[in-house]
Amino acid sequence: MEGEKRLFINLTKVFFAVIILRCFYLQIIRYPYYRNLSYRNCIRTIDTGIPRGIIYDRNMRPLAQDAPALHLVFVPYDLENPDKEAEILSEIISMDRQEILRKFKKRYANPFDRVYIKRQLTKEEVSLIEENMPSLPGVFVQEGLIRNYILGRDTCHLLGYTGEISEEQLKLLKEKGYKPGDFIGQDGVEKIYDDYLRGIPGGIQVEVDALGHQRKVMGKKDSSPGNNIVLTVDQTIQEIVSEELGDRRGCIAVMDPRNGQILAMVSRPGFDANNIKEYLDREGHPFLNRAIKGMYSPGSVFKIITEITALETGAIEEYDRVECTGEIQVADRVFHCWKEEGHGWVDINLALPYSCNIFFGTIGMKVGVSKMLEFASMFGLGSPTGIDLPGEKQGYLPDKREIDPLNLSIGQGPILTTPLQLLSLISTVANGGNIWKPYIVKEIISPDGQKIKEFSPELKKFVYVSEETIDILKRGLKNVVMFGTGSRARIDKIEVAGKTGTVQRAAEELGLGTHGFFVCYAPADSPKIAMVVFLDSASSSEAAGIAGKALKRILIPELNDSTGTETEELENVEIF
Amino acid sequence: MLRYFKRQMMEKGVIFWASLLLIIGVLMLFSASKGVLVKESIFLKQCLWIIIATIAGAFIKKIDYRDFQRIAPPLYFIIIFLLVAVLFSWSSGGASRWIRLGVFNLQPSEFAKLITVITLAAYLAEKDIRRFPVLLVSLIIIGIPFLLVLKQPNLGTAFIFIVVFFAIIYQAGATKGQMISLFLIGIFSSPFMWFIMKPYQRERILTFINPMRDPLGKGYNLIQSIITIGSGGFFGKGFLRGTQTKLAFLPEYHTDFIFCAFAEEFGFIGVVVLLGIYFMFFKSIAEVIYYTRERFAKLLATGILVIFIAHVVINTGMTMGLFPVVGIPLPFISYGGSSLMVSLISVVLVANIKENTIMF
Repeated sequence: MEGEKRLFINLTKVFFAVIILRCFYLQIIRYPYYRNLSYRNCIRTIDTGIPRGIIYDRNMRPLAQDAPALHLVFVPYDLENPDKEAEILSEIISMDRQEILRKFKKRYANPFDRVYIKRQLTKEEVSLIEENMPSLPGVFVQEGLIRNYILGRDTCHLLGYTGEISEEQLKLLKEKGYKPGDFIGQDGVEKIYDDYLRGIPGGIQVEVDALGHQRKVMGKKDSSPGNNIVLTVDQTIQEIVSEELGDRRGCIAVMDPRNGQILAMVSRPGFDANNIKEYLDREGHPFLNRAIKGMYSPGSVFKIITEITALETGAIEEYDRVECTGEIQVADRVFHCWKEEGHGWVDINLALPYSCNIFFGTIGMKVGVSKMLEFASMFGLGSPTGIDLPGEKQGYLPDKREIDPLNLSIGQGPILTTPLQLLSLISTVANGGNIWKPYIVKEIISPDGQKIKEFSPELKKFVYVSEETIDILKRGLKNVVMFGTGSRARIDKIEVAGKTGTVQRAAEELGLGTHGFFVCYAPADSPKIAMVVFLDSASSSEAAGIAGKALKRILIPELNDSTGTETEELENVEIF
Repeated sequence: MLRYFKRQMMEKGVIFWASLLLIIGVLMLFSASKGVLVKESIFLKQCLWIIIATIAGAFIKKIDYRDFQRIAPPLYFIIIFLLVAVLFSWSSGGASRWIRLGVFNLQPSEFAKLITVITLAAYLAEKDIRRFPVLLVSLIIIGIPFLLVLKQPNLGTAFIFIVVFFAIIYQAGATKGQMISLFLIGIFSSPFMWFIMKPYQRERILTFINPMRDPLGKGYNLIQSIITIGSGGFFGKGFLRGTQTKLAFLPEYHTDFIFCAFAEEFGFIGVVVLLGIYFMFFKSIAEVIYYTRERFAKLLATGILVIFIAHVVINTGMTMGLFPVVGIPLPFISYGGSSLMVSLISVVLVANIKENTIMF
C-alpha cells in the first residue's frame, strides 16, 4: 500500500528536481548572459521572403518568375528619432513624409519584426540610404524577391498580380501560417493557384548590436520555392494578339476549339503588375479582364443561335426567302435593318453574311422567344464557362417576358454575354457541337520537375445539332468573311469563318459609339483556332480587321515581318 | 514552532492549495494584461471564468462522486461526439481545437482528459485488468479520444492520454508483463505510424521534436522563453516589472508560456515556491488516494493526480527546453476557461472523495 502511494510522488520529486536544477542553471549560473540579452532586446527575426513558382507558357517559356530585389524595411523598436528619419527617407525614396511617419508610429503587435516601407529600391536609392545609414538607426535595406512578368502589361489580367495580404485575407488564412506583410496572389492565375505557387518562407534569427546590425546568427530556415505552373497559353500568340489589339479598349481571347485550351487572352486597358498603386484610380477599369468579366449584348453574333433555332425547329428551310426593304413594321413599332435601302429578297445563305436584321427578325418572330432562349442556354450562354480564372461573370439570359423576339433574334436588349462565352459558342460551332470547358493551366510541376497535377480537356456537354444545320451555318460563316460584313478578316491561303456583332449601347443617344464583336475560327474546314475580338466604341468590321491580321500572323508565320526563328517556335504550338 | 507550521501545512486540503495556485494565476494574468499584446479584457474574462467554474464546482460538490460512476458512459459519448465535431468544424481552412459558444470558445480536448479518466476508472472499478478482454476494452476507451485528439493535431494532449492510461492500469493492478508488453507495442508501432503519415505530418512531428527546425515559429518562442526565464535571476525583476513578456517577445505569455512570465518576475526563489505549492497540492491528492477504500475513487483520483503532474512537468519543462513545445497549459495559472473549468472540477471531485471517505 505504501509503495503505491509513493510512486507518483517520488516521480514528481525527480521531475521537479530536474526543473529546479535547470532553473538554477538558467537563472543563476547563466543569469548575466540572459539578463544582457533581455536588457538589450537584441534578438531579431528577418524574413527572407516566400519564393513563388515559375509560370510557364505551353512551350516552357517563362511568363512570370521571381527576381532578387532590395527592399526598404524598419524595425519599430530600433527607431531612435522617427520624425527625423522619416524626413531623410522621404527625400531619398520620394515618398510622403506623413505616410512614412504613419508607418513608423503605428503600434505593432511585435515591435521587433521588420516592416516594409518600400519594395524594390533602385540602385541610387540603395546607395543614398547606405550613405545615410548612421542617421537612420532601425532602418535597413533587405534582400528579398520581386515578381517579374516577362510580357508585362500583355499578361496582366491573365496572370494577375501579387500583393500584400489584406486584413480580411489574413483573417481567413492565418491558420495556414500566413503573416502580415506576406505577398499572395491577388488576381488571375496567381490568385487561383496561389496554394501551389507559394513556397515555404525562409528566415533567419539573429542577435543584433545596439544599432540593430546583425552580429550572430542564432537560427536559420531555408526557404523553398513553390510549384511551377505550365499554362495552355502560347507566348507567341499572346504577343501577337496584344500587338494587334494595340492600345484600343477591348479584349481578344484565343482558344483551341478541339479541346478548350486557352491560347491567349488579353484585355485593355491593362496595368503594371509591379506597380499596382498607380493604376488603382485610373479611369477605364484597368483591372477588369473584359474577356471574362465584361458583359455585353452579343449583337448580331446571336444570329448564330437564331439561325440554329430556326433550322433545327424546322421554322424555315434553307431557301425560304424574306424581302428586306430596310424596315419592317410590327404592331406600332418600326424595326430597321442596318442597311437603310434594304437587302432585297434574301435567304439564309445571304442573310447571315449580310447580317440582315429584317430576315432574322422575321424568323425570330416565327420561332418565338422561348425556343431561342432554350438554344442559347443549351450553347452555354447565361452560365459561366467554368474557366480556371477568378471572378468569371455568367452573363444574363432574360426571362421570356422581358424581351421581344425581334430584339432577341439580333442579340439586342437585356441579354448579356461575356466575350469568353461567345468564344465558347463559336468553338462549339467549329467543332460540330462539343462544348469544352475553357482552361488555362495545363500542368503543375514541383520544383524538382515532378508532375503534381495534370489538367486534361473536359467536355462539358455535346449539343446535338443536325449535320445539315451545321453545314448551312458553317457555309454562312465562311461567306461572312468571304464577301459579307466580316470581309476585313479575309486572309490569303487560309479560309476563315466568322461572324460580326455590332452592339448598340443604351446610351447611344449620348453620343457613345457602338461596341464591335468579331468571333471566328480557322481554317474554316478543319478548325484549329477560334478567336473572339471585342472592341469598346468601335465597329465590328474593325474587330474583323484585327482578327484577320492576328490570324494571318499566327497561322502563316512565314508572312511575318520577323525572321525564321518564330516559324520554328510556332511549330510547337500544335496548330497544324 | 517550525513543526507546528509544518503540521498546519500538511493538514491543508486539496482545495486550499488549488486556491493558492488560482490566486497566483490571477496575479500573473493581471501582470500580463499590462503588456502590449494582452488586453485587460483577458484578465477580466479569466476572473469571470473563475466565478463560473466556482459555481459549477459548488454544484458538483453536492453530487456524490459515486454517481459519476453511473453517468460515465453518457458523458463519454458526449465528449467523443464533441471531439468529432471539432474535427469537422473547419474554421477558415484549418482544423481547430475549439467549439465556439458565443463569446467563449470551448475546448473539448480539455474536458476529454477528465471524462476519459472517469470512464476508465468506472470501468476498471468492477473489472479485473489482468484479464485480456478487460485490457482490450480499456485500450479502446482511451484509444478513441486519443486518436481524435491526435488528429486535431494536439500532440501534447494525446501524450497525456498515454501517460494517464499507464498510471491508471498500474493503479488498477495490471501485471508487469502487461505494462511492459504495452510499452513495447507502443514503441514498435510508432515507426509504422511514421510510414503511413503524409510528408507535411512528418514535418510537423519533426518540428515538434526539434523546434529549431522552425526558428521563426516555435523555435523563436523557445529562444525567447529561455532568455525570459534566465533574465529573471535569483530574486526576479519584481511583480509587474517583467520586460521580456511585456514587450511581446513571447506571443503566448498569458497561456502556455505563462510560467516564463512568472519566472521572470519572481526569479529562482519564486519558481521554487511555486513548485513547492504544486508539490503540496499533489501530495494532498496522493493522501486521498491512499486513504480511500473504494476502488473507483482510488482510480479516479490517480487519473486526476497524474493529469495534473503531467501538465505541470510538461508545461514548465517545455518553457525551458527540456520538452518539445506543445500546447499544454499550466493548471490554474494559464489563461483559458476550459482548462480552468476542468481543473476546478477535478479538485472538487478529489475533495468529494475525501469527504466521503471514512478516515481512520
